[in-house]
Amino acid sequence: MRVLIQLRPSPDVIAAVAAPDVATTTADVTGGLPGVALDHSYVPVALPRPRPAAGGDPLSMHQPLDFSLAPEDASVLVRGEISDDEGAARAALLPAQSDVVAVYADPVIETSLTCGGSPPVGTWEDVARLLAVPALAAEGYDGAGVPLAICDTGINAAHVGQRLGRSCTVDGERSWNPGGVSGEPGRFAVDHGTMCAFDALIAAPAATLIDIPVLLSRRQGGSAMDGLLSDAVAAFAHLRTVLDAQPAGSRSLVVSNSWGSFSPLWDLAPGQPGNYSDNAAHPFNIIVGSLEQAGADILFAAGNCGSECKDRRCAFPARPIVGANSHPQVLSVAGVDTNGERVGYSSQGPGRLSDRKPDIAAYTHFAGSRAFGDTEPDSGTSAACPVAAGLVAAIRTRWPASRLSPSQLRTLLHRTADDRSTVGFDYDYGYGIADPAALIEALRKVSGSRE
Amino acid sequence: MVLVTVELPPGATLEQAAHALGLAEDEVDTGYGLVPLDPARGLYALRVTEEAGRRVPPAAGPYADPTIEPYGPPS
Repeated sequence: MRVLIQLRPSPDVIAAVAAPDVATTTADVTGGLPGVALDHSYVPVALPRPRPAAGGDPLSMHQPLDFSLAPEDASVLVRGEISDDEGAARAALLPAQSDVVAVYADPVIETSLTCGGSPPVGTWEDVARLLAVPALAAEGYDGAGVPLAICDTGINAAHVGQRLGRSCTVDGERSWNPGGVSGEPGRFAVDHGTMCAFDALIAAPAATLIDIPVLLSRRQGGSAMDGLLSDAVAAFAHLRTVLDAQPAGSRSLVVSNSWGSFSPLWDLAPGQPGNYSDNAAHPFNIIVGSLEQAGADILFAAGNCGSECKDRRCAFPARPIVGANSHPQVLSVAGVDTNGERVGYSSQGPGRLSDRKPDIAAYTHFAGSRAFGDTEPDSGTSAACPVAAGLVAAIRTRWPASRLSPSQLRTLLHRTADDRSTVGFDYDYGYGIADPAALIEALRKVSGSRE
Repeated sequence: MVLVTVELPPGATLEQAAHALGLAEDEVDTGYGLVPLDPARGLYALRVTEEAGRRVPPAAGPYADPTIEPYGPPS
């Protein structure tokens, strides 16, 4: 949480800050504040005191005012950052420190945040460059032999191959349809799942796709473009058999999920035993934990309910990263554009099952699969999730779960992410943007320490 | 329909699950079947009618079966 801190140091310091010909620094104003990472690149600013005209109300800003920069009246602003975990509490307590007058939010101001209707920002080739795909390939991280499940609306492999300029492999034997869904693996209509498959293969071009069209469910309560969570339960049970069928020493499975629950209307209220959004004991949240424990890397999109330009379907009044999308044993993925800026629709934490969500950010809103038309971007955290899943699948080429558990890999992704704040984790970007070059270097060290 | 859970030995059948929960066959989604959630715990899930879900022991549920939707493109 970025903050502006209003201080009232000694009058001579205020006079120095206010003097246009005297250079002052944050260190001249304060020796430090507990729990605040001060931004020493920020030049302190003298803040005049508003004073009502004679006889005016001393507590009202709604009247004619004079402003005094006299040292006995003025104060000084410095800039810093407080950990998101304790932002509100610390901001409330800091004024008890000597010199601190008040703490104010310092929100990001931007001219053109990427939102739902924005044109593409960069291309999938830019994403490949940002993901250091040649460096990954040079290290043998291309996804060869790694099963990568796309749980979505089904994959059209011909479209993916045509857009990538190379063939892609869909494993029909290990793919699975929910009850009532017909259609062959890799031959579904071009739609959301095709976009996800394309985006996953950017970093893991040799991965083997497993087609799980869970969002095509036609069970009672479903519609053409949504499914029911019970089908995801069944899909994950199938994926457990896919994982268990592999030799224990070389086992790997990456599961990409670009979906979630937009509304509490279909759920029981938080606090009720049968609730999904906030309840780790819900059957789907149990099977997610069980599959991860068995060795699967599970990724979920953080969601498109970011405060700046949320999807109109978002109906949770707060904390929109819900259910398995906020599960402590999954990687919850936020979205950034190819300029590294968070897209305005990317959901912000804290999560409901686990506070520290999202985990990391990955690229979205780029020209890629053209699944929605020639000019439409691959967008939403729906695209960011498979982009990150592809990176995970690439790493699994040489690091099966027996060598590096899903939990250990998540920790490495956290540690190596490109931090977008100065205090580590934050609720916009999580630990930062996934950084493949740093991840490769960290894996070299892990490998060296084990030899 | 709602989700309920039941603990049974490995290899359990849907019939055994229905019997353990005191449910009739027409109260259970046989097309959905008996789905293993956590093999180590012998924990399974099945779909049942809302009426049947209200009769199962509290530890078994019922659990919500919400609609899930793709997270994109944002609208």
